[in-house]
Formats: sequence, structure tokens, C-alpha cells
Amino acid sequence: MKGVKSTNMEHLAPIVVLGGQKFDLAAIFMIVLTSIIVFILARLSIRNLSVDNPGKLQNFMEWVVEFVSNIIGMATDFKRGKVYLSLGLTLIMYIFIGNMLGLPFSIITEAHGHATFLGMDLFMNGHEEAHFAWWKSPTADAAMTMALALTVIVLSHIQGVRHNRKHYLKHYFQPWAFFLPINLIETIAKPLTLGLRLFGNIYAGEVMIGVILGMGWVGIPALLVWQGFSIFVGAIQAFVFTMLTMVYIGQASIHEEEH
Amino acid sequence: MISFNWTSFVIQILAFGILYLLLSKYAFGPLFGIMEKRRQLVKEQIDSAEKNRVESERFLEEQKQSLQQARKEAYDIIEQAKSTGSKQADEIVAAARNESSRLKEDAVRDIESEKNKAIASLKAEVGGLSVQIASKILEKQVDEQAQSQLVDEYLKDVGNKS
Repeated sequence: MKGVKSTNMEHLAPIVVLGGQKFDLAAIFMIVLTSIIVFILARLSIRNLSVDNPGKLQNFMEWVVEFVSNIIGMATDFKRGKVYLSLGLTLIMYIFIGNMLGLPFSIITEAHGHATFLGMDLFMNGHEEAHFAWWKSPTADAAMTMALALTVIVLSHIQGVRHNRKHYLKHYFQPWAFFLPINLIETIAKPLTLGLRLFGNIYAGEVMIGVILGMGWVGIPALLVWQGFSIFVGAIQAFVFTMLTMVYIGQASIHEEEH
Repeated sequence: MISFNWTSFVIQILAFGILYLLLSKYAFGPLFGIMEKRRQLVKEQIDSAEKNRVESERFLEEQKQSLQQARKEAYDIIEQAKSTGSKQADEIVAAARNESSRLKEDAVRDIESEKNKAIASLKAEVGGLSVQIASKILEKQVDEQAQSQLVDEYLKDVGNKS
């Protein structure tokens, strides 16, 4: 049966080698596409900004802003966390739209022996025959989720050193100095868990969709259910990522009085 | 296939940074400004509503007070009219009383003078009559001259005594 065979066949990422570096064309394409969609959505929502008669998109965007404000308010003190509102908004919109993009369909090209893209050879990993997956969630790639996670974690450390140096440095030796190794492990674990949680959820969702697709026509009801669930998971993961970002930034850089 | 592609990693960081900058500058900046304005608009409207409410309450209070005052004034006017009326009645009664007593005194005085007049005229009458009576009795015994002398003496005596 062809479906079973196709699950066995690896879906390769379309990779080109340029100047000794491997570039994942699908990843780059999806990163750019997601960014463009987010930016266009944001621009559309502020196209007809109005003080007394807001349009639907403006209302929606204001709801998102309120939502992220509430996240910041929950994680830290909103007055001091206000500067991270744009960051939170960018994160939640990018991750949510990225999560959603992988759901509706996929673009797969088959290649036999040799494939090129704009005159560049695609890396076939030694296979004679390969399927290239051109369409996937940018968040279903560990490199991309780790990039996001590291960005916000590094930001939290920088802000910690800049705005809250004494408490930031002291927290490595809390509650006692010999806790330093544990605190260091925690520091390293934070970006790993943050990035891999998002990656794992979305990647698993896409793998599952692939498996269900392999079932053929029988799988259509399951596919619908799973896609619905994936929308839920995608929304939750976007929320969790933003929430944790704010919590980490808040912990590192905003000193609370009761500490 | 799980792979970790460093170029994707770097490109994602760059793309996210650029997206963040673009969004902050071209989308969220204006949006936050408008949201702040809307917040202020709502706040202003609530404030003005609150102000209007306080003002209307104040007006109501004023109206109540002026009504109260008008009522009090009306009451005062009625009271005053009542007291003026009763005072005037008293005055009229007193004046009438004075008048009547004056009239009574006048009457008494008139009666007195009439009485005196009557007494005086009666005295003269009685004198004349008694002279006539006496002359009639004495006609024959005493001559005219001696008799007149006698009557004069007698009347003088009477006049002194009276």
C-alpha cells in the first residue's frame, strides 16, 4: 500500500549548501512567510486607527494587546513590565501564526536522483529518491524554537544585569552559596525547556498529521479532530511561551519588594 | 527527522529581531498611542458623567432649598397678615371704646349743665311765684313799700342761704 510506504519514506528538508553552510530553504521560507503574515496582520489592524470608532481588526488587536498586558500583569508587575509589551505581542503573534501555518496542508515535492532549486543542488542525504517537505510550521523545527527561546532568555539575563544587578547576581547563590551548581543547571534548563516544549508540541502535532494522512481516506475524521486539537495546542503553546518569557524576564530583571 | 540547523537558528533570530523592530515601529507604536487616547477618552467621558451627576445633585439640592425657603416665606407672610389683622382689630375695638366713653362723658356733662340751668331757672321761677304769693297774702296788711322791703330782705336771706 502506497500510504504505508510513504510514511516510511523520509520527508527531507530542502537543504542547499552555500559557502560550506547548509541552508534549510523550507525553514527560511516559512520564517519569512510567517513574519510577513504577522506584519501584514498588524499593519491591517492599525490601518484605520480611530479613537472613538474602532474597526473590527483594531478591536481584535486591542484585545490581543489587553491579553498580553494581562499576561505581563500575571507574570510580573505590569507597570515595570510594560516595556516588554511589544516583545510579548510579537512573540505570541509569531508563534501562534507559525503554529497555525503548518496545520492546513503541506507541500511536498518528489525528487528522483537529483533536485535543484533556483539552480542550487538540494542536499539529498545520500538517498536516490526523496520527498521534500516545503511547508511546515516554523515552530516545528528545534533550531527555530531554540532561537526564539535563547533570544528571550539572553534578553532576560541582559535585562537582569542591567536593571537588577545585585539581586540578579545574588539569586545564583540562593538560598545558600553551594546551591550555585543547581542554579546554573536551572539557568541552562530554562531556554532548553522553553524552546523544546514548543518544538515538541508542534512537531509532534505535525508528525501525527503525517501519520493520519498515511491512513488514507479512513483517516479524514481523525484528521479533522486532530487538526482541531492542534489549533488548541498551538494557541496554548503560544500563550505558554509568552507567559514563561515574561516570568523569566520578570524574575531576572524586576526586583519584587517581598524578596 | 529531527535536525538542528545552525543557519535556521541564526536566520530565525535575525528574522525575529527584524520583525520585532518593524512591528514596534510601524504597528504597535501607533496602536498603543491610540489605545492610550481611547483610554483617556473613556476616562474623560466617565469623569464628565460623574461631574454632571454631582452638578445635577447640587442643582436638585438648591431647588429643594429654594422651595423650602419659599414655603417658609409664604408661612411668614400669612403669620404676619394674621398678626396685623388681629392688631388692627384690637386697635379698632380700643378706638370704639374710647369714643363711646367720650360720648358718655359728654352726655353726662350736658346733663349736668342742663340740670344746673333747670335749677337756676326753677330758682328764679320759685322766687317770682313766692313773691306773688306773699304779695297776695300781705296786700291788705302792709303797704307796698314796707312789703317790698320785707320781701327783699327775705329773698336776700334766701339767696345767701342757697
